[in-house]
Amino acid sequence: MRKMLFLFAILSLCGKVLAGELEYYKLYTPQDGMSAEEIMQIKYHNKYSLFAKDYYLPYCEVYYVDASGFTRKKIAKRFRIVKGGEDGISYKDLVVITYPTEIKGLAILTWTYEDPNKSQDVWLWVPSLKKVRKISASEDDDAFMGSDLTVEEVSTRKFEDESYRLIGEENFKGYKFEHTAEIKFEGEPCFVIECVPKQLHWYYAKRIIWVTKSTGGNIFEEYYDKNGKLFKTIFRDWAIYERGIKNYPTQHAVECKDLRTGHRTTVLNLEQEYDKGISEQEFTVKALMRSKW
Amino acid sequence: MRIILFITLITMVLPLRIFALQLNDSIDYAGFLKMEIRLKNNTDNSHQHLSGLKNTFDIGFDYKLSENWSFFFHPRFFYDFAYDIREQEEFDRTQHYMGHTQRTEWLRDCYLDYNSDNLDIRLGKQQVAWGHMDIPILDKVMPFDLTNWFLPDLADMRIPLWMAKIDYSPKLNSTLQFLIIPDFEASRVAPPGAPFSFSAYNNFYNLTQSLPILVGTVPFNTYLNNIYVDTIFPSKQFENSTFGVRFSSMLGNLEYTLNWLYGFTTSSYLYEEDTVATFVPGAPPHIELSSYNSRRFKRVQMMGLSFAKSFVDPGLLEGITLKGEFAYIHDEPTYYGTSGSRELTEVSDKYNWGIAIEKDVVKNTTLSLQLIQFIVDKDKRVDPTTGTVYKVLDTSTYGVIDKVETSIALKLMTDFMYERVKPEITVIYQEDNQGRIVPKVGVELRDNLWLKIGYAHFYGRPDSSNGQFRNNDQLMMEVKYTF
Repeated sequence: MRKMLFLFAILSLCGKVLAGELEYYKLYTPQDGMSAEEIMQIKYHNKYSLFAKDYYLPYCEVYYVDASGFTRKKIAKRFRIVKGGEDGISYKDLVVITYPTEIKGLAILTWTYEDPNKSQDVWLWVPSLKKVRKISASEDDDAFMGSDLTVEEVSTRKFEDESYRLIGEENFKGYKFEHTAEIKFEGEPCFVIECVPKQLHWYYAKRIIWVTKSTGGNIFEEYYDKNGKLFKTIFRDWAIYERGIKNYPTQHAVECKDLRTGHRTTVLNLEQEYDKGISEQEFTVKALMRSKW
Repeated sequence: MRIILFITLITMVLPLRIFALQLNDSIDYAGFLKMEIRLKNNTDNSHQHLSGLKNTFDIGFDYKLSENWSFFFHPRFFYDFAYDIREQEEFDRTQHYMGHTQRTEWLRDCYLDYNSDNLDIRLGKQQVAWGHMDIPILDKVMPFDLTNWFLPDLADMRIPLWMAKIDYSPKLNSTLQFLIIPDFEASRVAPPGAPFSFSAYNNFYNLTQSLPILVGTVPFNTYLNNIYVDTIFPSKQFENSTFGVRFSSMLGNLEYTLNWLYGFTTSSYLYEEDTVATFVPGAPPHIELSSYNSRRFKRVQMMGLSFAKSFVDPGLLEGITLKGEFAYIHDEPTYYGTSGSRELTEVSDKYNWGIAIEKDVVKNTTLSLQLIQFIVDKDKRVDPTTGTVYKVLDTSTYGVIDKVETSIALKLMTDFMYERVKPEITVIYQEDNQGRIVPKVGVELRDNLWLKIGYAHFYGRPDSSNGQFRNNDQLMMEVKYTF
């Protein structure tokens, strides 16, 4: 009995966040009794897949749907390598557009630094120039590739950017995923956390997020303006991708609705893979120049 | 018998089916059909309003042969109907050159690619771009198609060449690039009479059309009767290849390159070879002159460097990207003379440099500001026979230019409606109050249907590089269907 208790205690510790920063390449799951900060650290760890050495998304469909139902589509590939703080870099990310043809080949290489105060380094392969352009990082509140999502919602928001308060725990009411009209995550046990941006006069005054206990992923977010009015929601379809002994928390879909315009963006992440052994050479300017389009 | 037939059929068809499946998995293609319309807002340059009705078909195939090997094939054809439906002699004369795809230029890319971690090799017809600036300083590897001045995209202006490009990375983010270019193509310029033909070319053509010209009266009337120009291309030998080396690396997040290029100029330069005088007895006796000239391409050497850095640390400079490049060109042929008249062609060293600052200024809006200087080492030459002092000339207009020519380029880009509408404006200002202003807006009508509308305004003295096109202000429209 003692041995079992000891083993149980060890296993529990493995899943818990130890004091300080989370370690790269390790999996963490939120536990009852954790603080809002601890849960959010895990959420960011999962968002940027810092639990894996690399991430490969061969097929990502993005739908832009306006209030009238008019739909546009983009298809992209995404690669990420987690540097784990080597040379001050947290991770390197590469997005390559494959559709529509007009922008086929457009590639965006970003290096994200561990220091939360540092901006990203960004390179762009521009098909109309057949040239790599070093560009300034977009502002965090700029639209990400013309979507309803902002740059920080996709790639730059960090744990240090907000202060957190645990509102409570509840079973999620469910979300109707507009793309397929399915009801998702109904009754899913979640932590509910209020996040307030540290930056003054930001594009939102606070957001309320639902983080699932099973994956540590933020399945739903509500954005409020300074008048307390809800203006935007983001749904993220988190699930566990089982691969051998490692279970990877994975975002299969994202749906962002702008309640002011009725426009929504739906992202479908298909056939994702982790720890494929992607070479770091794929995240260089030279690799961008391989583009044919 | 039936079974034998069935098995035979299966054995014949199955490999084909498997092959087709493999082909489908490994082949990627994309292309477009595009119609461009150009309407000039005046006709005082011997052209009517419609200066372009160009239809383009473009398709690219990427065939992945294996994990490391792939083959890319990319043809493009165009036909400009404006040259057919117009009646003006000046314009129609250029139809054979401007109205359709020239010679082998239909093949934009055709190369075999080998990619591995440390070594990339690209063999075949392709284009290479060096440098960071929007106005080419180091971007001198390829010849340029200047038939529409600098209005098209740079990727469409570069004329691809057959070459070997080898990129070797001894370590991460450091690459040594070798270029061996046995192919040679001259930069294309618009023929006399076309909308964007250089004024120097137009003037020369007009001169040839007005022969004979009385050039002297003592002791007899002397007429210039003939002008012969022989263009001499570099002979097709390996030693006439262009060779290039580029080393690129990073210091922290400062990216830099060191470049070296050795090869023939992509533009030809005019040299007087001989003038033959023939005495013609008769009533009245006179002298007839025949001028023999050549256009030659000369070997030059370029050395240069470029850098780019984004300021990522918090502070005043955060969010700014700084870029720059410098090129030293040794012994480039240069024209000297008086305004409108070229007298000498001599080599001179050139020092060209530019610096650019780029920043996201407001939401989704990027501002780029560039300062560029073209410096010629010897801006004056003395004619050894007459002692006359000649000044350096603009190659395209024969207008006198300064030792240091400064340009400022400003580009503002933004987008609206979830990136469906993308306006941008480019303003080029050059010394002597000349330049061009080009506002454009691109609209995504459907995923596969795009509309672009723009306007090009040129200003400046008629003998300045942009001012020579001051009567060429035009509205540009483009509809593109992609697949």
